[in-house]
Amino acid sequence: MMITTAQVFTIISIICAPMVGIAALVLTLAALNLSLGIRRLYVQLLALIFDYATKIKRDKEISIDSNASSDEPPTPLPPSTAKNKLAPTLEKKNEDNPAEKTNSSIHSFDRRSQDPLFNSALLLLYNSSLRDIIDCTRQGLEAIVDDDVTKRFTSAEEMVVWNLLTRTQQQHEYFSMRVTLLWFLGFCVRYFILFPFRLFLFILGVLWMLGSAVFLQYFPAKDAKLRFGFYINIVLHRILSRVFSAIITIHNTEHRAKCGSICVANHTSPIDVIILSTDNSFSMIGQQQGGFFGMVQRTLSQTANHIWFERSEAKDRHMVAEKMREHIQAHNNLPILIFPEGTCINNTSVMMFKKGCFEITEATIYPVAIKYDNRFGDAFWNSSKHELFQYLILMMTSWAIVVDVYYLPPMTIEEGETSVDFARRVKAAIAKQGGFVDLEWDGGLKRALPKADYKAEEQRKFYEMLKTE
Amino acid sequence: FTPEELQRLYGRFQDLEKRDPPLGYITRKELLNIREVAVNPLGERLIDVILQDHGKVSIQQHLFETKRKYSSFKGDTNKINFRQFANMFALFRRDKAPTNLHKREKKLLFLFSLYDRNHDSNIDRNELIEILKLMVGGNINDEQISTIADHTIGELDVNGDLKITFEEFCATLSRIHIDEKMSMKFPS
Repeated sequence: MMITTAQVFTIISIICAPMVGIAALVLTLAALNLSLGIRRLYVQLLALIFDYATKIKRDKEISIDSNASSDEPPTPLPPSTAKNKLAPTLEKKNEDNPAEKTNSSIHSFDRRSQDPLFNSALLLLYNSSLRDIIDCTRQGLEAIVDDDVTKRFTSAEEMVVWNLLTRTQQQHEYFSMRVTLLWFLGFCVRYFILFPFRLFLFILGVLWMLGSAVFLQYFPAKDAKLRFGFYINIVLHRILSRVFSAIITIHNTEHRAKCGSICVANHTSPIDVIILSTDNSFSMIGQQQGGFFGMVQRTLSQTANHIWFERSEAKDRHMVAEKMREHIQAHNNLPILIFPEGTCINNTSVMMFKKGCFEITEATIYPVAIKYDNRFGDAFWNSSKHELFQYLILMMTSWAIVVDVYYLPPMTIEEGETSVDFARRVKAAIAKQGGFVDLEWDGGLKRALPKADYKAEEQRKFYEMLKTE
Repeated sequence: FTPEELQRLYGRFQDLEKRDPPLGYITRKELLNIREVAVNPLGERLIDVILQDHGKVSIQQHLFETKRKYSSFKGDTNKINFRQFANMFALFRRDKAPTNLHKREKKLLFLFSLYDRNHDSNIDRNELIEILKLMVGGNINDEQISTIADHTIGELDVNGDLKITFEEFCATLSRIHIDEKMSMKFPS
């Protein structure tokens, strides 16, 4: 039977009509910043379903365990605390000073005298150095089993409650028919219902962005342009956030970043920008990228002044700092958004903040802590595992992205504080608010091996210790 | 190991192995990829001990995997599979049971082999100097290190052969609670 084009058209319009209708609804809601609360209900429903699935799984596990006898009682500790206990700190060498110390202090090893006091002191020195060798060895072994850095660059460990996404389950086992059925249902819903809809919204969002860019270019008045730009930007990001079914809870809105300041946040994924921009408009600063994202960057640059640079260019850094200064000094410029970690970290910890933006002493810094709830979708972008597009698709086929944004009170650099210390202080504040582990490791370790001078540093510390014995 | 600990350890082993498709072994490069091991002054030594002493693969298997001829076999396998990995770490598991002398001796042997790389069951002056150099780097000059090494051997050497044997080594460490210090908790 031949289907005529008219029939095809009617079929398509029947399918599209509800989509278009819902899309229009979403758009108006976005523009007016209202929420029907549907997403929250949806998330609560999901939570119930996940609990049910986990309960089934646990029941199965208990029945399996009781068949196999085991001596040790099951550890009720959640995985994270066990890991923190094991994390070796290269700082704790002081614990192992030898119990017996000689009274004579040895200042240099050049004395070749044969007196017994020297010899026994040397022996003790050897003993203590032996202890350190033992400690070093043990720390090395511990690091092989579990180290602090590698695990920050992969998605966080298995959750207690399984969220019906195979990608988060470490070993997929067949538990029971019910769970598999649920998983399959979830799969269908996510890929065939939610995903096309979200894709449609995404295209809409991109169109809006392009359209508004063109619109604003031809807009005459400068001031009105900025204000319009501000609102358009917010609406754009609200649409985009609905693309990912993002449920954003913002805390402490009184500390929202003001014009002419710098906003600093921890970085977990490119979606961070969208989430923060639903509430406030920013001037962005970051690495100029290629491809789709690069095009996005260039388009955005037309509506507001953003700063894009090439990280590897040394003189670029100066230029960037200068530009930032200028930008801040012009008072009605949008606040600058910057992610000082430099790379995506998996939302369990905060790594070393690069001191670049903290060197601008006249600016106030508004720290923001972004905490994702992993149960409904893991927002971390593992750039060595997924390309950006792949990542976006993963995001669009997750259940939802639930995020808590905490605005923190503004901070400025204090008298006599170096920029490194200031960076550390801000980092500690963010870590405390978001419940992250505060680490001093450089995010750049994700891609490069630590520089040789770290090792030399360790060796020097050891030497100092030997000297003071 | 409890089943959970073993599972965790296996997960870790898999994370460390970056080969695709995974062939089931870890090499030196992958262990060096762990930042904290790379920064540890004894990191490379430790990896040497792990791979060479505990990671021996049979010659036939090695040749089969690398598809080389017997004549080019250098005797250095440089890889470790999971069973050997787990066996080695089982040595360091913190036991609730009272001190097992056999285990203690094995731990001491592990430490001894950190020094003794030519496997002649003796630590001679050069090996001692090497380890000291690894620990302090460029901070002490060679003369001073030699002095320390000589004096140490002088003190510890009982039978006068100017080398430290395994028994002499153990005697030095008898005061230190090796078992406690070389035990670690495994995540489960």
